[in-house]
Amino acid sequence: MSSILWQYPSRLIGGVRDQATLRVRRWALKRQGTDSGTTRLRPGRVYILPTGVGLLFGLMAFAMLLGSMNYNNNLSFVLTFLLIGVGFVAMHQCQRNLVGLELTFAGTEPVFAGQSMRFRIAITNQSKSARYGIRIYHDKSESDVQDLQPGESKVFILPVPTLRRGWVQLDRFGIRTLFPFELFRSWAWLHMDLRGLVYPQPSEDAPQPPPSRVAHGHRQHDARGEEDFAGLRKYHAGDSPRHVAWKAYARSGQLLSKQFAGADTSSQWFDLAELPIPDLEERLSILTRWVVSADQTREDYGLRIPGEEFPPAHGDAQRRQCLEALALFDGGDP
Amino acid sequence: MRAEPRGTDGSLLASLPWTLGALAVSLAPHVPYLPVWITVAFLSCAVWRYAIEKRRRLLPSPWVRGGLALVCFLGVFGTYSAISGVGPGSALLAIMAALKLLETRRRRDLFVLLFISIFLVMSSLLREQYLWSLPYLIFATLIIVTAWLRMSAGESETTRQSFRTGTRLLLYAAPLAIAMWIFFPRLASPFWAVPIDTSRATSGLSDTMSPGDISSLSMSNEVAFRVKFEGDIPESKDRYWRGLVMTRFNGRTWSGSEPRIAARPEQQISFKGDAIRYEVTLEPTMQQWIFALEMPREISLRRTHMGPEQQLFHVIPIEQRIAYEVVSHTDFAVQAELPRAFRGWYTNLPESGNQRTVELARTMREAAGSDPAYINAVLAKFHDEEFFYTLQPPALGSNPVDRFLFETRQGFCEHYASAFAFMMRSAGIPSRVVLGYQGGEVNPLGGHLIVRQSDAHAWTEVWLERYGWYRLDPTAAVAPERIDYGVQGAALDGIAASWGFTASSQFLQQVTMTWDAMNAKWNDWILGYGPDTQSSLMEWLGMEDPDWRKMLLTLVVIVIGLILLISAVMMLRYRVPPKDTAAILYARFVRKTKLKISVGETAQEFAERVANSKSLSESDIDAVTDAYHDARYGQDGDTALSRLQSAVTAVK
Repeated sequence: MSSILWQYPSRLIGGVRDQATLRVRRWALKRQGTDSGTTRLRPGRVYILPTGVGLLFGLMAFAMLLGSMNYNNNLSFVLTFLLIGVGFVAMHQCQRNLVGLELTFAGTEPVFAGQSMRFRIAITNQSKSARYGIRIYHDKSESDVQDLQPGESKVFILPVPTLRRGWVQLDRFGIRTLFPFELFRSWAWLHMDLRGLVYPQPSEDAPQPPPSRVAHGHRQHDARGEEDFAGLRKYHAGDSPRHVAWKAYARSGQLLSKQFAGADTSSQWFDLAELPIPDLEERLSILTRWVVSADQTREDYGLRIPGEEFPPAHGDAQRRQCLEALALFDGGDP
Repeated sequence: MRAEPRGTDGSLLASLPWTLGALAVSLAPHVPYLPVWITVAFLSCAVWRYAIEKRRRLLPSPWVRGGLALVCFLGVFGTYSAISGVGPGSALLAIMAALKLLETRRRRDLFVLLFISIFLVMSSLLREQYLWSLPYLIFATLIIVTAWLRMSAGESETTRQSFRTGTRLLLYAAPLAIAMWIFFPRLASPFWAVPIDTSRATSGLSDTMSPGDISSLSMSNEVAFRVKFEGDIPESKDRYWRGLVMTRFNGRTWSGSEPRIAARPEQQISFKGDAIRYEVTLEPTMQQWIFALEMPREISLRRTHMGPEQQLFHVIPIEQRIAYEVVSHTDFAVQAELPRAFRGWYTNLPESGNQRTVELARTMREAAGSDPAYINAVLAKFHDEEFFYTLQPPALGSNPVDRFLFETRQGFCEHYASAFAFMMRSAGIPSRVVLGYQGGEVNPLGGHLIVRQSDAHAWTEVWLERYGWYRLDPTAAVAPERIDYGVQGAALDGIAASWGFTASSQFLQQVTMTWDAMNAKWNDWILGYGPDTQSSLMEWLGMEDPDWRKMLLTLVVIVIGLILLISAVMMLRYRVPPKDTAAILYARFVRKTKLKISVGETAQEFAERVANSKSLSESDIDAVTDAYHDARYGQDGDTALSRLQSAVTAVK
């Protein structure tokens, strides 16, 4: 019952609120301009409004004032005015709690779509007073609340949910505090150039990667690879006949391949064009899974997507290059 | 309905003790007035809740809480007949706090508890405003503010820091509060009728007098009123503070004191001798009686009337401390004619009961021959025979006058006044009983007179042809020292005695007198700050024709000024210290180049760019850049700074 009654007005109010928010955001951006990588909060851009508790407190103070007037009770006047005074002071303290803080974008790590992008913001308190209860936020996501002692600098992590691959651009984020009494909320908006890369989501049900092939063209590899014999393993189709341990075959009738240290015997090529699936995003997702799995087993792998080719290799650089390419393929905009 | 989770995780462990402390501090002044079970209920809920949090137990189920709530609210309604007023209000608040504690899971619920404690402090101020109430309210506010800070504090904020922040906030708020307190316009009359605590017994005189029921003389040292005389303080025997007059007697109880305006407004009183001018500060009595020295001629209090029996009363009960100026003459005569119809009114007695006294009165009247002779005979009887003045007389039975006069012969003013008036009426002489105060204690420090509840007194007035109404105090015949030295002299030894000390304790006397003088000043300056005092203060401050608009405007101006001041102080406290000198000097160099340094550009890169622009000599640029690098990153920063300074100055 309640859902029927309440859905409509909340949607109506929600719409109005969204409109207002949009306008305020545009106004703030126009007023403040974009911020550089390190921004100190000036008093003029720290806004303040009472919270729900603050409004309740105001109501209570008003009721107490009426009561004191009615009873003509001078001591309850004292109590009332003391509380009103505390309210005024709290308002200033709340705003001053943010003014002068220095915010610096401290980078972010790429994530896979669906994970939270963790933007790191370093906040420095260069003043001689401690700042309490600071948190940064964006829409519904917010960082932990932390205190900043005088001279202290702390990193705040703002987790932002990601849905799709490509660049995530955070046009704006906020910093806010409720200190000292949660009667007021003061906040500031920052328009820094915060970007983070989102890799495609690794597919959950990816097919087996194509079988490895020996890369004949890679002389260097072979030349070095034959130097250090490491052991024998079962022959796979595609192993070089030169690596087959013929002596062992003669002895046991089993085909075995020689293994050489430093040589990746099963280097693979992942090719976007070879996947027989029509949906591009799904194909990128499968390739991502292959890259991630290959990276985990430390096998060599190469990536071929239209316009770009990464020869087989492994390691962090290879992984990053490949995943970046997959994230940004075709403009990075699915 | 989805069940609320009831688990606790110890997250409130840091803030809960402070919240409980704030509640306890704000509840403390109510404890003497509340039924004991409410205090016990609150304390057990507080301990229970703390144990739950400490051991990470479950909160009581909604059924348990609902049951408790029902029992407690029924208990409150059972204890108090009405639910408005300070008594039931504070009881309800205490119960609400106790019950709310049992369902407090989140930080947010603590807000409600702190709001409740603020209201508890406020209601305790409505109940009583002693000298220590001001320090108490400041202390309570400090505890509440600290508890509030603890509630929203992060992990790194220590209790000590919270306490200091709280103290600082209050110190900042104090000037604002004082300014608002002084300039906020006070109202002359309330918006709506206020039900003040009815659970409190009226501290003044009762409307009826039943000598012999239970010994009922108030031994309370509570102050009834204080008096400041313009001239000398009259002698104790002349200090009869007239209150109410009782004219009906039913054999046990004197009554008939309803305040009513005289049928004949002109009081035929003739005043003689010198006028005595004084100001009375009357404590709230919840009654209408206004006390003044016999016999008042003028009174400054509005809406005050004199009844047909020369009693003063206010049209509404005195619910707050009030001050009024009076002009009285201790030498006076009430020359009222008494028509026959009224004579019957003042000689009326119940048809039966106290027969022995009636017979004695008739015998004595016949023997005396005249009314004045009879009166003297009766007074002589009280004086000569074995009558005792005591504050703990035995209870009297169904014929109290008979029993008192012929058997117990022990009593205080009420017994003597009642018996005397009864004997007068039995002999056909119109008489009535007056209740008020007699005497009072002079405070040498404040120069004022303190009249306490223990100074309550009853005396009689008889009507004699040609004389009119004439005051006769039979107690004076029995125990003249009561009249000359007050109750203290007659029975006990004053305030000190009530503390368990004797009169010789001069030091204690001094202490009590100092305390009383402070209280008197407190009443005058703080509690008595009302519309009149306010406007005279405003005039003294130079405001012409003060009215509420001007005061409110001044208030706004002063508050805005103070807020700007606080803002400036805060700005100073929270300011970021200026950048290092090297940066300032380098910024001066950058300005001289007329180029802008771009984000992320190092000093070296900038130097190259300046050199390329060919606006300055390369040696100057190099000198500045080198000195800057040394000042910032070098070992010997101080000499590098002076080098940088001269290098920057050298740049043309």
